[in-house]
Amino acid sequence: MSVRLNPDLRNELVQYGIGDWNACYHCGTCTAMCPLSEEGFLFPRKKIRLMQMGLGDQLEASVEPWLCYYCGDCTTTCPRDANPGELMMSLRRFMTSRYDWTGLSKKFYTSEVWELAWIIFFAILVVLSFVIVLPSFGFHYTSELTADGGVKVNSFAPIRIIETFDWAMAIIVATLLMSNILRMYYAIIWKHTNTKVSLWVHIRELWLLIYNFMVQPKFSKCDSKGYWVSHWFLMSGYTIMFIVIVVFLPWFQTEEILPVYDPQRLLGYYATFGLLFGLFIAIVGRVKKKEVKFQFSHISDWLFLAMLTLTVITGILIHIFRINGMPMATYISYIAHMAILVPMILIEVPFSKWSHLAYRPFAVYIAQLKKNAVPR
Amino acid sequence: MNDKDSIGIFFYNLPVSMGEPIDYTELTRYVQSMPQVTKTWLYTDFQWNEDTIRKKVESHNLTRIIIAGALPGTVKGLFSKAMAMSGKDSQSVMLASFNQYGIWSGKDSERARALLLCAIRDIPYEIAATPDDTTVNPVTLIIGAGIAGIQAALEIAGGNNLVYLLEKTGTIGGKMATFDKTFPTLDCAACILTPKMVEVNQHPNIRLMTYCEVKEVKGEAGNFNVRILQKARKVNVTTCIGCGTCAEKCPASAPSEFDAGTTMRKAIYMPFPQAVPNKYMIDAESCIYLKTGKCKACVKACPVPDCINLDEQDKEVSLNVGNIIIATGYKTFDAMKMEQYGYGKYPNVLNALEFERLLNASGPTSGNIHFRSQDKKGNWIFTTESDKPEKLAIIHCVGSRDKNHNKHCSRVCCMYSLKFAHLILEKIPEAEVYEYFIDMRAFGKGYEEFYQRIKEEGVSIIRGKTAKVEEKNGKLLIRGEDIVNSTLIENSVDMVILSTGLEPGEDTKRIGEMLRIPSTADGWFEEANYNTNPTGTFRGGIMLAGSCQGPKDIPDSVAQGSAAAARVLQSIIRGHVSKDVSALSLHDIEKRINELSPVI
Repeated sequence: MSVRLNPDLRNELVQYGIGDWNACYHCGTCTAMCPLSEEGFLFPRKKIRLMQMGLGDQLEASVEPWLCYYCGDCTTTCPRDANPGELMMSLRRFMTSRYDWTGLSKKFYTSEVWELAWIIFFAILVVLSFVIVLPSFGFHYTSELTADGGVKVNSFAPIRIIETFDWAMAIIVATLLMSNILRMYYAIIWKHTNTKVSLWVHIRELWLLIYNFMVQPKFSKCDSKGYWVSHWFLMSGYTIMFIVIVVFLPWFQTEEILPVYDPQRLLGYYATFGLLFGLFIAIVGRVKKKEVKFQFSHISDWLFLAMLTLTVITGILIHIFRINGMPMATYISYIAHMAILVPMILIEVPFSKWSHLAYRPFAVYIAQLKKNAVPR
Repeated sequence: MNDKDSIGIFFYNLPVSMGEPIDYTELTRYVQSMPQVTKTWLYTDFQWNEDTIRKKVESHNLTRIIIAGALPGTVKGLFSKAMAMSGKDSQSVMLASFNQYGIWSGKDSERARALLLCAIRDIPYEIAATPDDTTVNPVTLIIGAGIAGIQAALEIAGGNNLVYLLEKTGTIGGKMATFDKTFPTLDCAACILTPKMVEVNQHPNIRLMTYCEVKEVKGEAGNFNVRILQKARKVNVTTCIGCGTCAEKCPASAPSEFDAGTTMRKAIYMPFPQAVPNKYMIDAESCIYLKTGKCKACVKACPVPDCINLDEQDKEVSLNVGNIIIATGYKTFDAMKMEQYGYGKYPNVLNALEFERLLNASGPTSGNIHFRSQDKKGNWIFTTESDKPEKLAIIHCVGSRDKNHNKHCSRVCCMYSLKFAHLILEKIPEAEVYEYFIDMRAFGKGYEEFYQRIKEEGVSIIRGKTAKVEEKNGKLLIRGEDIVNSTLIENSVDMVILSTGLEPGEDTKRIGEMLRIPSTADGWFEEANYNTNPTGTFRGGIMLAGSCQGPKDIPDSVAQGSAAAARVLQSIIRGHVSKDVSALSLHDIEKRINELSPVI
């Protein structure tokens, strides 16, 4: 297999985050300090070597960046201030853009203007569809309240249409993400190697995928257990919300005001709490900058946090206004909620920071496949 | 010099500031008051490259360029090329190197102005700013009696001049006296050093002042007045016969400084058997009598009447000297600062000086390598009663080349680590020895050959710094990455030796402030010129020798000791010494420049 050097790789990589790509003198402290680095999957040092040498193909074929959960031990002990932790983070951004065949991810990561423009564009589309498109189909603002004093949400935002739209969006996002994951799989398992993995291994190790998606056991191995808990709440809250909104919207978006102990409301409250708790910890961490992992925030990190926080807040407002019978306020919050949620899902999930929800569990799965690879 | 001169001044890469930063606005105002100067730029003003500089040269029609700042030579090429590209003389690029002339902070702004003035008027700074001579007192004071100080003392005294050799501890010899062998020749360190120590003691022109500290230095080059604190030994140096009866009877003990704390000595003690002067002394901090007023066991045991005087007080001595050589040496990095290596937590993680004592044939174990063990009182000491290790690991670069601790390379650790490996195999031939390094710096004469020899002796020399040491099943587990083979290292060993780096000695800062000698960012004394005057300082009559100027091995320390002595001898023979460079005011320099090159 030939090896291709790309002398411009470093200049390209710098766009994905902070880091002195040249500082490392290869003492290996970071690798040995890392609680997740293991034989066959050594990082961060080896990855830094690839970056320095401009071995883009080898980087593309690396699963290791996704196995790092950023505890920051490497950065604290690095004798050269090379900041290996943040280099791995930047590398994950780079990998995301490499897997993405549309090329949009690279644009979003390297140009704030581009990313903001697209967010605003989608937001305007959403607002326009509520203000112009839906009314032209006969769905109107109504100040009439339901029998129990709630706002008639469904007359303004018809469930059938919203549900169809949700499904469409979910399918688009899932297709993009899955195609990118296939590219990740291909790059790591096949393209740059001369090994193969049997079908049986693929099936046998599938459980890892689900287990890692649900629990993130690797994250808990990183020394900061507290962050694993807050991340888990965030992740579980988000997953519940996503499923409820896409699959069970008719059950969730009701006009009737159900009792507080009703599963619909309990589930909603749990998800909201989980999201808020996780977001609070992450935002406070990034503002205080005490932990290494929170010290270097890329614009994409802040955008992600800001959009998710706004989505949750507008969601809470919809709920409060609806059960208190405030139609105008409900409708405005609904539009705002959708105007943030839609661009966030369309941009963040397939192309940006949020794609890690798929890449991370798949990386563990692919790494396990790699361990079972045989020469072809 | 012609009146059509049009000079552009570029301030480059502002030096690492020590204290208040240099005021560039003030400096700019000063140079712009001169008619020859057309314009000045700061490094931050625009992106420097051949093209942008060429544009500046052309738009301002510059005939001459001065690059001022730290290491301006690194960018000189850009300017020469830019000048050539615009059809000007590429030779008309001058450097005003701040670091070369010790300009580090706002305090040196006057010197910076003088330097720029010289550059603008095209007169070498050395000519315009060479200070006047003054008569010199032929007596010399040497601060620090390690190998560098001893060498300098012998050289100067050998030229029939009086030398005061001052030492902070109770014996001369310094760090070298604690070593067993020297690299790369594996000579016996004591066999080289002890004769020199004895020579110093017996030399008619050397006045030995041990257990002394410099308190104050007044005066200037050629005529310093030095106030010295003579700490009370409480044992009469002239009458003590060194029999040791007192120490036998002394009930108090403390860790031995000479053995790097690995053995216990009495409160009345001789630092080591070959100490010079070979006399006992009392450690006031552990002496029972001095704490409680009762005991006097030593006084009762001493066979010489009135030799021990427990009530002796510190006293002050005043000296007049013409030259001073600073040879205060280094201290080793405190490995406790790197918790990951477990020094201070695991008894068999040793630092370099401790292991030197363990290897030393005249050390606590007569040169046999044994585990550290606890004595009856619970002190961790070296004795021959414990077992011998079979697997030993040496970790390089502990506290050196590390931005969290010391950025500099300590220069000697690679070589002494290789020496350790050799000596371990010499003493325990069946031992397994591992060395974990980042880069092997075998830079001196015969050093690379020594490295190859150690490799052939069967030492496992592995590239990759150890990340941490943990105790597991009574062994020390080393975790690291083998860079060459790309594998994780997990190695259980019996003993870990940390190659601790070199740091400026504790007194460097105090002495530097007292003598007004600046230090570089990493704390070593700043020499007058790194290349051409490494022993001189910015102050006339004050010289540097040995590792107080930067990490050095024994041959280099000896060489610098001799070099500093040569400068002192030169001034004594001439009868004159240069005053401080800083003694000249900007006004003086301006006057001289006008004499040398009057403005047309």
